[in-house]
Amino acid sequence: MGKRVLVIEDDQELGAQIVKRLRDAGYEPTWWKEGRRLSRETLPDVDLVVLDLMLPGTYGMDILKDLRVFSEVPVLVLSARNDTADKVRALRLGADDYMTKPFWPEELVERVRARLRRPTLGRGDVVEVGALRIERGRREVSVRGERVELTRLEFEFLAALAERPGEAMTRSSLAARVLDPERDGTERTLDVHVSRLRKKLGRGAFVETVWGIGYRLGDGRDE
Amino acid sequence: MKLRARLAVATILVMVPMTFALFWYDGAARHRAAEQKLTEFVLGQMPTAREACEAAPSSFGGELRPSLPPGPPRGARPPPGPPRPHGARPAVVHAYDESLHSANPDAPVIPEALARAIHEQDVAIASYVLPTSSVELLARMPWGTGPCAYVLARGTTDPTWGAVLPESNIWLLPTVAVFAAMLLALGPVVRRIRKLTEAVLRSASATYADAVLIEGDDEIGVLARAFNAAGREIRSQLEEKDRREQALRHFLANTTHDVMIPLTVLQGHLATLREDAAAGKPVDVGALVSAMDEAHYMASLVHNLAATARLEAADVTLQRCEVDLEALVKRVVGRHRPIAKQLGVSIETAVPGEPVTVSADVTLLEQAISNVTYNAVRYNRPGGHVAVILDRVANELFRLRVVDDGPGIPEAELSRLAERGFRGNEARSRAPDGQGLGLHITYRAAKLHGFRLTLRPSEYGGLEVELEGELDAPVG
Repeated sequence: MGKRVLVIEDDQELGAQIVKRLRDAGYEPTWWKEGRRLSRETLPDVDLVVLDLMLPGTYGMDILKDLRVFSEVPVLVLSARNDTADKVRALRLGADDYMTKPFWPEELVERVRARLRRPTLGRGDVVEVGALRIERGRREVSVRGERVELTRLEFEFLAALAERPGEAMTRSSLAARVLDPERDGTERTLDVHVSRLRKKLGRGAFVETVWGIGYRLGDGRDE
Repeated sequence: MKLRARLAVATILVMVPMTFALFWYDGAARHRAAEQKLTEFVLGQMPTAREACEAAPSSFGGELRPSLPPGPPRGARPPPGPPRPHGARPAVVHAYDESLHSANPDAPVIPEALARAIHEQDVAIASYVLPTSSVELLARMPWGTGPCAYVLARGTTDPTWGAVLPESNIWLLPTVAVFAAMLLALGPVVRRIRKLTEAVLRSASATYADAVLIEGDDEIGVLARAFNAAGREIRSQLEEKDRREQALRHFLANTTHDVMIPLTVLQGHLATLREDAAAGKPVDVGALVSAMDEAHYMASLVHNLAATARLEAADVTLQRCEVDLEALVKRVVGRHRPIAKQLGVSIETAVPGEPVTVSADVTLLEQAISNVTYNAVRYNRPGGHVAVILDRVANELFRLRVVDDGPGIPEAELSRLAERGFRGNEARSRAPDGQGLGLHITYRAAKLHGFRLTLRPSEYGGLEVELEGELDAPVG
C-alpha cells in the first residue's frame, strides 16, 4: 500500500495534475480544494502534506500553524511567491521543505519521495547495495555472496563511498580520505586503484564514475 | 487671527493691567502720604485739644483747627497745616471713651475693622480701597482714659501729597502713540508677507520652476530664500521620480519583450505539434523538448526579473537567514534536472558529508546559483555534462563550483564581461554568449553577500563558475 499524501491546492488544473502524478508514482493522494482549519480530529491519517500557501478560505500559513500544534507530519509548501520572508516564515512555522512555482511534475514527485524515503543506514556496520555487501567491522566485501579480497586502500575507498550510497563524492575528497600522499601519490593514482577494484568486483556498475565529480556507489544494475 | 489683530490684542492685554497697576500704586502712595499727615496732625493737636474735649465731650467733634504750631519744623516743607486740601473736605475728628463710645451724638460709629485693629496698635488705619480718596484712622491717645481716650479722624488725600504720577494724564499720550506706531509699522511687514504668499503660490503652480523673488535681509527675505531652497529640493526629487518612472517603464517594456519572445516560440512549437497531430504525423520530440525548454526558460526569466526589480531598488537590503547550502544545491539541481534530462544533458551534484550553512538571503542566493546552473544546462549540447560541487575549504569557507563541458565563453569575452559586472548589450540576447541577465544577477548577489565569484574555462572545455564565501560559523 502506498504512502498517503494530503494535497491542499485550490487550483483545479494544478491540483488534478499533482494528484495524478502522485498516484502514478505509487502514492495515495487525498485532495482538499480549499483551506480548512485543522484539528487533531479533522486531519486525515497521512504521511505527508503538500500545502499551497495561497488558498481561499484559510490561509496556508494558518493551516501550517494549526497542524504543527498536534502533528509532526512532514509538510511540503508550494508557493508562487519567490520571497525570502515567506520562506523563512514557513520554515519557522514548521514546514519541512518548500517549492516555488512553476515546477516540473517530476521535481515534485522527487521531493515527495525524498521526504518519505527512509534514512539510508550508510554508517552502519553492514551496507548492502544491490548484490554488494560491505562489512566494516570485519573489513569484508562480498558480491552475490562471494567474498572479494581487497587491498587496504580499495577497501577504504569502497567504505567511504558506502557511507552515502547513491551520492557522488568528489575525487579530491576520496583521495584525501584513502590516499597517503607520501606513499600512494595523487588523485591520478586513484583512478588506477578504482579500475583494479572494478575488475575485482566483477560484473555490475558498483563503482560509478560521475562526470566532473568523482565516484558513486551504485547498485550494480546499470550495466 | 490676523497678525495685526493679534499684536493689538496682545498689547492691550499687557497695557491695561499695567496702567491699572500704576494707578493703583499712585493712589496707594497718595493714601499713605495722607494717612501720615493725618496721623501727625491728630497726634500733634490732640494733647492741646484734650482739655476742651474732656470739658465738653458731648459737643467735641468736627473740624479740628490747630491751636498751636505743630511739632518741629521740617526742612523746607511747608508747615503741616490742617489736612485740608484745596477743594477737598477738611479733616474731621471725633472723640471716644475706652469702650469706643462717643458722648457726642453726631459722632459716627467706629467701623468694625478699626475697632478690632486698635487692640493691637496705637493707630489703626482703614486700608486703602481704589478709587476712594478718603482717609480714616483711629488713634489711641497717650493718656488712654476718659471720654477722649480714642480719636477717630477722617480726611482726604491731596494731589500734592505723595503722588507718583503727574497730576495731568498727558503721560498716557506717548503710550497710546507707541501702540499706534507699532500697528502702523506692522503694515509693510504684513504687505511683504502677503507678497511672499502670492509668490509661493505662483511658484507652486509652476511645479516650483520659478524662484520666489523677495529682496531683503530681514526674516521674510530669509524665509523666501529658504522656500527657494525647499523648492529646488522638491524639484530635484520630482526629477528623480520621473527618472525612476521612466526606468520602470523601460524595464517593463524590456520585460514584456523578454517574456513575449519565449512565449511566442512556445506557441509556435505547440501549434506545430497540434498540426502534426492533426495530420497524423508522429510526435516531433524535438519540438516538444524545445517547448518545454521555452517554458522552463520563462520561469527562470520571471524569477530573474523579480530579482532584478529587487536589485534595482535604491537601497537593496538582504534578508539574511541561516541557509543550508546542501539543501539549496539539491533544490537547484532538482529544479533543472527534468529539463536537463529532456535536453540530453547530465547533471550531477556532490556535497560534503557535513552541513554547510551560510548567512544569506536564501531567495537571492538560490536564484544566483540557479542561474549559473541553468546556463550550464541550457547552453550545453546533447550528451553534455554539468556538475555542481559543494565543498568546504579549511573549515571556514564554502566553495561552490558549477562545471560544464559546453561551448564556454572565450577568455577575452569573459574578462570584458567581468569588467562590466557581467552586463553587456547582449545581456538580453538569447544567443549562447548572452547569458547576461542571469549572470548579472549572480554577480550582484555575490557582491551583496560578500562572496567571490570567478568565471574561468573549465578543464573540460566549457565554463567553470566558482562561488566562494565565508561559512555562517566555523564548526569546531
